[in-house]
Amino acid sequence: MFKEYKTKKNKADQGISQPQREYKRKFEEPFKDYKRIQAPEILSFIDNPVGVVEFISDLKKHYDDKKKVFVVLNDVKIITYDAIVVLLSIMVKFKANKIDFNGDFPTNQNARDILTESKFLKYLYQHFKEEERYELGQKSSIHTHAWKDVDSELGNELIKNASKTVWGDERRCQGVQRTLIELMLNTNNHADDSKKGEKHWWLSVHHDKINGKVSFAFIDFGVGVFTSLNNKRHGSKFFGILDKLKEKVKYGNNAELLKLIMDGTLHRTATGKPYHGKGLPGINKVRERNQINNLNIITNNVHANLNSNEFNILPKSFSGTFVYWELNNQNVNCYGEN
Amino acid sequence: MEKIEISVLKHFSPTPGPRYIHEGKFSGELFRQTVLYPKVSEAIEKNIPFEVNLDKTAGYGTSFLEESFGGLIRIHKLSYDKILSLMTLISKEEDYLIDDVNEYLNDANEESKK
Repeated sequence: MFKEYKTKKNKADQGISQPQREYKRKFEEPFKDYKRIQAPEILSFIDNPVGVVEFISDLKKHYDDKKKVFVVLNDVKIITYDAIVVLLSIMVKFKANKIDFNGDFPTNQNARDILTESKFLKYLYQHFKEEERYELGQKSSIHTHAWKDVDSELGNELIKNASKTVWGDERRCQGVQRTLIELMLNTNNHADDSKKGEKHWWLSVHHDKINGKVSFAFIDFGVGVFTSLNNKRHGSKFFGILDKLKEKVKYGNNAELLKLIMDGTLHRTATGKPYHGKGLPGINKVRERNQINNLNIITNNVHANLNSNEFNILPKSFSGTFVYWELNNQNVNCYGEN
Repeated sequence: MEKIEISVLKHFSPTPGPRYIHEGKFSGELFRQTVLYPKVSEAIEKNIPFEVNLDKTAGYGTSFLEESFGGLIRIHKLSYDKILSLMTLISKEEDYLIDDVNEYLNDANEESKK
């Protein structure tokens, strides 16, 4: 194999001087030894979860193998803002671990504009170190944060800015704050079952000033909901919960199981008590109280759209949890600064 | 009549955070240790009512409230009956929090009997 490669290389380099060869290596074929990963045409976790999970899975495989990658974005026709958090978080993970990561740009102008707005293209040429905290993008349109701890002050700031886009003045949105705290806490406590507080959570917030809407996309690359439940140890009130649940309620697959988690059935089975709103089902309560809108969750092999009550199985599993929601002027809010 | 007033906003933070101190700033554990327990134990000692105002903050994670109120019984071993008889909760902005806090106290009391 190597011999064949060398023969080809020697033929290609025949008649070319050493400086010319160097130039060719550096500028004409700079990504020759990168693994090319094709991004899906519709780069949207909400609208194309199958394609995006496949894309993440390909990238993760190369990340685990420490192989440098070149992400082919050229053919991407549609990018939605929820995909930005996916792209940025993966890029930083590669770069922070000193694995080369590069890519090209979509020819589609709209898709290209969204990437430019997120500053993804700028960060593509930047070095990143392994850090506790990252802050990327621009506050006025799409802003991405990553950290390991629960940061209620950040939540408050993001909501103040979001409310200016939605209502034109600062408001408090306790439902959004609860959603953020529950998700950050979930990542801190459950994303890595062996060590708490080891994984980053990533959050991108996009301000749609024309439609007066702000979208939030949250992701962690932990074990995901079902794997986490299966890993519960002795002493946890959720230890053996799936066996207990099966005795009481019939469910066929993880999509049906997520439905039982979201309506609080799993919690009631584990504790024998009414549900008080902790974790993911608590976020669904926030949606039911009309404090947020268009809630979507993708975890392991399930995509749930809570607003339309659709729970679908994905052909490939995503190791982590992705949550998307929106805030608009119909959502419950409070006046008065805190 | 003498009454002890506790406001999360005025006496602690506009942005209550996670459950434990090690999970992030303004935790329920810190609120309980520095504000809630000293004031509630004073109220119980003097046998005077106390009022906890949850309004005007950025919002609460469930763990903050559970650790704050449940911890009064679980960690500090305060009397559930005394707390209930002396406490008034104010949560006009999020009325469901009153039921939640009462459940946290009740759960902690039930657990303490085991």
